Parts: sequence; C-alpha cells; structure tokens
Amino acid sequence: MTRPIRVALPRGDLREPLAEQLRAAGFVAEGYGEGSRSYRFDVEDRPTVQVRVFSDADIPIQVALGQYDLGIASRTWTDELLVRYRHESIVPLRSLDLGSERLVVAGAPGTSIERLAAGGAVQVSTEYPNLAHHYLNRLRVPDYRLYDVWAQAEAWPPDDAELAIAAASAVEREGLEVLGDVHRGGVWLIGNRDALAERDLREALEPLLMLPRGDGESGLVVPPAIGGLRRAPSRATSERECFRIAVPDGHAQRHTVAALASAGIAFDGYEEGRTMRRPLSDLDGVEVKVMRPQDMPRAVALGRFDLAVTGRDWLEVHRTAFPAAPVVELCDLARSKYRLGAVVSEDLPVESIREAVAYWRRDDPSRPIRLASEYASLADDYARGRHLGRYRVIPISGASEGFVPEDAEILIEGAETGTTLRANRLRMIDVIMESTNCAIGAAERPVGRRGELRDEFVERLRAAALAAG
Amino acid sequence: MPVETAESEADPASTPEGDPVPDNGLRTSGMRDLGPDEMRRFRRVERAFLETAEARGYLEVRTPTIEPLHLYTAAGTLSPQLLDRVYSFLDWDGWSGERVVLRPDATVAVARWLTEHGLEGPQRLAYVQPVYRFVPGDGDREQWQCGVELFGVPAPEGDSELLLLARDLLAALGLEGLRCELAHAGLARVIFAAAGLDAVEQLEAYDRMLEGDAGIVDRLVEARPESASALRLLSDVDGNAAGYLANLRAALLPDLPAAEAPLADLEAVARTLDAAGLPYRVLPGTARNFEYYSGVTFRMFAGAEECLAGGRYDGLTETIGGTSAPASGFGADLLRLARLVPAGGAR
Repeated sequence: MTRPIRVALPRGDLREPLAEQLRAAGFVAEGYGEGSRSYRFDVEDRPTVQVRVFSDADIPIQVALGQYDLGIASRTWTDELLVRYRHESIVPLRSLDLGSERLVVAGAPGTSIERLAAGGAVQVSTEYPNLAHHYLNRLRVPDYRLYDVWAQAEAWPPDDAELAIAAASAVEREGLEVLGDVHRGGVWLIGNRDALAERDLREALEPLLMLPRGDGESGLVVPPAIGGLRRAPSRATSERECFRIAVPDGHAQRHTVAALASAGIAFDGYEEGRTMRRPLSDLDGVEVKVMRPQDMPRAVALGRFDLAVTGRDWLEVHRTAFPAAPVVELCDLARSKYRLGAVVSEDLPVESIREAVAYWRRDDPSRPIRLASEYASLADDYARGRHLGRYRVIPISGASEGFVPEDAEILIEGAETGTTLRANRLRMIDVIMESTNCAIGAAERPVGRRGELRDEFVERLRAAALAAG
Repeated sequence: MPVETAESEADPASTPEGDPVPDNGLRTSGMRDLGPDEMRRFRRVERAFLETAEARGYLEVRTPTIEPLHLYTAAGTLSPQLLDRVYSFLDWDGWSGERVVLRPDATVAVARWLTEHGLEGPQRLAYVQPVYRFVPGDGDREQWQCGVELFGVPAPEGDSELLLLARDLLAALGLEGLRCELAHAGLARVIFAAAGLDAVEQLEAYDRMLEGDAGIVDRLVEARPESASALRLLSDVDGNAAGYLANLRAALLPDLPAAEAPLADLEAVARTLDAAGLPYRVLPGTARNFEYYSGVTFRMFAGAEECLAGGRYDGLTETIGGTSAPASGFGADLLRLARLVPAGGAR
C-alpha cells in the first residue's frame, strides 16, 4: 500500500486563521479549525492525505526527519533548526500570509549590548539557542553565556540575565527595551527534501501552494558586527543580600499556592487566578519571582534563587543532563503527584519494555527505537539504562499523546490518573519515577540571614506537608 | 592555523588505496578509520614532521580535545561562518550556560596555552592533533593537523623562518617541485579601507577576490580610480620576482603610503625565497578566515598539490585575553600529506 501524504499543521494561535485559508484553498481537514482535541484528521476528498497537529516548534523537526512530507510552521522554529543543521532535509517552499512575531534582543531600559560585551561574558536567556548563537556570533560578541530556557525567556532580565532573545510583544510586556531584531518571523509552507524529490505530493501540494502568499519580510537578521571588542575578564559580582524565591505559574501554581498557604506563607500577587511577575512578600529582604518550573533548577544552580518550588521531575531532568549542577531538593511538598514513565500503544501485545523492543525489531534487528519526550535528557537516560541499542530521542514541546504509535515507539510522559493516556489508547509500560512538587535550593547552604531564612521556609513547608499527610 | 584549503576537497572515508567504504550505519558520517597501511604512512609523516621541526627548535605541545566555545567567538579567532560548523555542545557543566567545542582549530588552542603559561620571548611550538568541523556529506569532519606556531618573532624575520621551515619539512617528506603563493592581509586591508569598505564588507570582498570574482576589482577601481593601476597590477598579474614587487611599490605608494609596511614585508620574504631558490607567486590573497590574519599569508605546493598554508596573526594572543605578541604559523592536513608522500619518501 502506498504511504499516505503526511502534512503537519500547527496548533495554537495559528490554527484558526490557517484553517480558514485552507478551507478556501480546498484543503478541508474537518475539525482542525474548531480546535478539536484530536491529533489526526482526514482531508475531505483527498483520501491519500493525512493531517497531524503538532506544536509549532515540533513541525520542522518532524518534516526534517521525513516523518511528514509537508508542514506549515513559523519561520523562527524552522530557522532555529536550519541555522544549526543547515544540511537538514527541509525546503522552505512558500511564505504564507499569516501573522507571526519577530524575535528581538532586549534588556533593561538603557542597556547597551556594546557596553555589556566590552565588560565580560554577556548573559542571554532564550528559547532559541541556535538563533541566539547565530546572532551573537555575527554581532561578534566576544564572550557570552546562553541560558536556553524552556519558556518565558523575557522574564529573566534584568535580574537573572542581562539580555533576552524573545518575541517582541513578550519583551515589551515585561517592560524591556528592544535593542535589535534577531529574526523577522513569518509562517512558511515547508517540505521534506527527499519526499519532494521522489514522491508525487500533488494532492496536498497543489492546494497548499494556493494559500495566500505572505509579502512581509521574514527570516534571519544578520546584524552588523560590533567592531574592536576583545575578550574581557568577567564582571565581578557582589554577594546578593536579599533572599530570593521562585514560584511557578501554569498548572503548578494552584498546588504551590495551596502548599504555601498551608505553611502560612502568602505573597501579594501570587494567588489562584492572579499572578504578577514579581509578587510581594511581607518579609523584609525577601524577593519573589514567578517563572516556569522547568527552568528553576538551572536558575537555582546559577545562584539566582535561594529557594524555588518546582516538580521533582524537572529537577531530575536537570540533574540527568548536568549531574554536577549545584542544586538539591530541600523538602518534598507532597502535592501534584504523578508518575513519569515509558508510554506505548495500548495495542502492543507485550508486557514489558524488553518484550516491546523485541517486538519492534522482529523484522529488522537494527531498527532505531524512537523516543518522543518533553523530557529529552530523561528519555536519553532511560534509553541508555534500558539498553535500547540504536535509538533516537525526538525532543517535543507538546501535543505529546499524538506521537505514539505513528511518530514514535515510546513516549516518555507523565500521568496523574492515566485517563488521558487511556483516551488516546496508550498505556504506561515502565515507571521511571514518581514525582511530586518540592522545594529546591543550592547544594551549599547560604551563610547569614539568607541561610536562616532558607531554614525557616523549609521548616514551615516541611511541617505543613507532614501535617497534610 | 585554520587549514581551510584542503578540506573542501577531502576524500570520503576511504581505504588506503582510496576505495570508498560502504556506509552500513555503523560509522558516524564524516568519521573515518585508519587501517594499518594508512597508520604506517601517518606515523612516517608525523615522525618526519616532528623531527624536522624539533631540529629547528620547535617543541611539541598537545592541547585538550574539548575547549570552551568562548575561546573562539571573539573577532579575530574564527569567522562566524567557521563558527557555524564547529561541534559545540553543553557538557556536564553546561548548566552555567557555557558551551564547549571539540577543538575546531589548533592555533587558537596553542595561543591559549602560551597565554596561560605567561611565556614571553620567542617560543617555537609544534603540534600534531585532530580538529573537528562539520563538512557536508561524508567528507572528513575529523582532520589531523600538523603545524607549527612561532610566537615572539616579528615580521619579516619570523615569516622568512617559517617559509624555510615549511620548505624543509616538505623536502624531508620527499616531496618535490615545491613552490609558494604569497599574499599580505595588511595590503588587502589598506586597499579595501581606501575604497571605503567597512570591516564586514572587507571580509566579503576578500572572499570574492579569493574566488577569482573580477567584479570585486571593478568595484574597487570604481570606488578609487586613482588606484586603478595598482589594483590591476595586483589582481591581474601574478608576480613571481622581486621586480614585480618593485612595480607594485611604484604603482601603489603614491596613493596609499600605508601600503609601505606590507610591501616591505613581502619584499623581505621574496628575498628569502629568491635566495633559497624557491619559486613563488604574489597574489591578492591566499587564505580564508581573513580577519584572523595581520600580515604575510602563504600556501606551499608540491607540483599541483597544495601541502600547507599559514601566515601571520599578530593580534591573536591579545584577542584571547593575553598580552600582545607577534605570532605566525602554518598547518597541514597530515593525512593529505601522507597520501602525497611517495613510497619510502619520508626521511
């Protein structure tokens, strides 16, 4: 049977306007525009075409791997891949008339990149490390440190990084000053080079090439080099006096607010349903900041915070990648409990991961096993620990339940009750760890008042967790 | 020194006899094995190289395979284009935001070694070690470089010493028909600057000139008609004797007195080569990675085969955080030399 023509489409904000344009071009994936929770769609009157929905960031990777023949994705994520892996098999085919944000470099008002670069290593936070390297190298910044964060890079400056490379609207919301353009954005139709060279893709390609063409500028910005800079010794940093706490937003916020409340701790601007970037504490010399829990272990290891509330899974992800990072768990908050493990298709006729590997390799002993996961370092660690032999880790940033079985054999994923897994005909075959939320801190206890405050917070959180059973 | 010229022609992974090794998925693209025959040739070249270098006072050093990326990001080390091809990654300490690289170039690492040890005065160093850079397809991504670095000896004495050493090394390998191509990065800079090109435009213009793009000379002539004769002399005539440099001096200096020092360097080197009986040609440029070089650059050939390349890079030690020191060197692709060496050739 001929393999279907596979098309990857984005979820999120692009979904609605794109669905309208697709419909006008005669490419109707019923339910796509309405935000159906399905991951896969048939296309009306085009029986050989299949559509799969991904996070925007994952589409270029899927097309480059050849798992999808065509895709529509923002140009920033495509270039994030191409700028490092320039010989990847992606062909950008057509700029589309869909809005996409430009990426900028920004810092606190009054910041000058030249001045920072002349004074030692420049700290830059970003979700786009490859674009950031490309930009900073062409700018000829002699020395820099990149914090490739999970999300909200704009939240790091000015206290936790000097510059952020992030979407223009996001840095403006944070009150940062835009210092230059890094990428002009754009949304593009992209294709897999081999598929375009070998396969007849007309049934999908013809309507997709009829989508309205974007006429705005898109793509990489090559900045003029800063002249005359040499490497300089790093800036001396003075010992921080205030005690800094990081608390999470998103799903973890509700559990954290409850855990803090049970310990008698409250921050003005950090309640259920209300979040300020920098909530206020009644205690003198205590600063609070809201950030993504995934990025907290690194921020603590860097010495930016004395205490942070995150999930044990994210601490483990960080320590798997960087075993020497000076960050430890201080106490278990015993909330937000779930299991993290290897998830496979419910239909797989096996009882263990070992049997599963044998099943997948029954016809081809050298077949690579594909592991998709948001927890890329844990997936890598798991594959090595279980001796999977030849394997590929596919880093993903969402829509994870749709990967198995077509786009990966194994999903390394968390599950609270298992309901979502069952609804997607998946099951956890191997548990890697049980995770709850926890307070983390530096491996070395700070001295002076910061140390005392850390002891006090940890004691209160621990007592509250014990009392809650 | 960044050996740029040979790798684009690098053979795919091959047996010593040159037969391609089939890709059965067990070997990483661009990485190759060296079998017994090839290792025998490798060691012969390595031995001849190190012994000849040591006899001239160049002592062997070895630097780590992994270096911090920031050693290579400052202007004057690796160009942004080369930086796009390094193997950089986050190692176990990568939480700090500091990336590391598999050594993409030997000279910068040796300069770092010298800077860290605070050595002053003339230092003569030699190395044999691999460098790692991405090359499309199955071209060699691990390249064994052998080279020398001469710190603390300014132009033109240092340049002359290196050229004679290069000749002796190739002769020790049994290679014949040696000849040299010379250029001066400073001369190109003086001309570009006079034509109003900024630093980035100079890099682009230099690359285009190396590629033989006649349009770039037309553009320069248009921007600076008073230098037309000198530009034409430089780009259209392959000078191969001291007389050529005298003509260049006559055409260039009235308009561009800043060309005096580069021309004097070239003339001194040409005198050395004339005295040694080594044929040479003077070209507008010989080496990529233009911003790295400050003085004479050269390539040496055995017949039609390029064997080694080098030049002067006086700003390097200061760029990476050390004190200013005159510096020059050359490097060669050792496996390429091993293929060129006649059987029983290396003495």
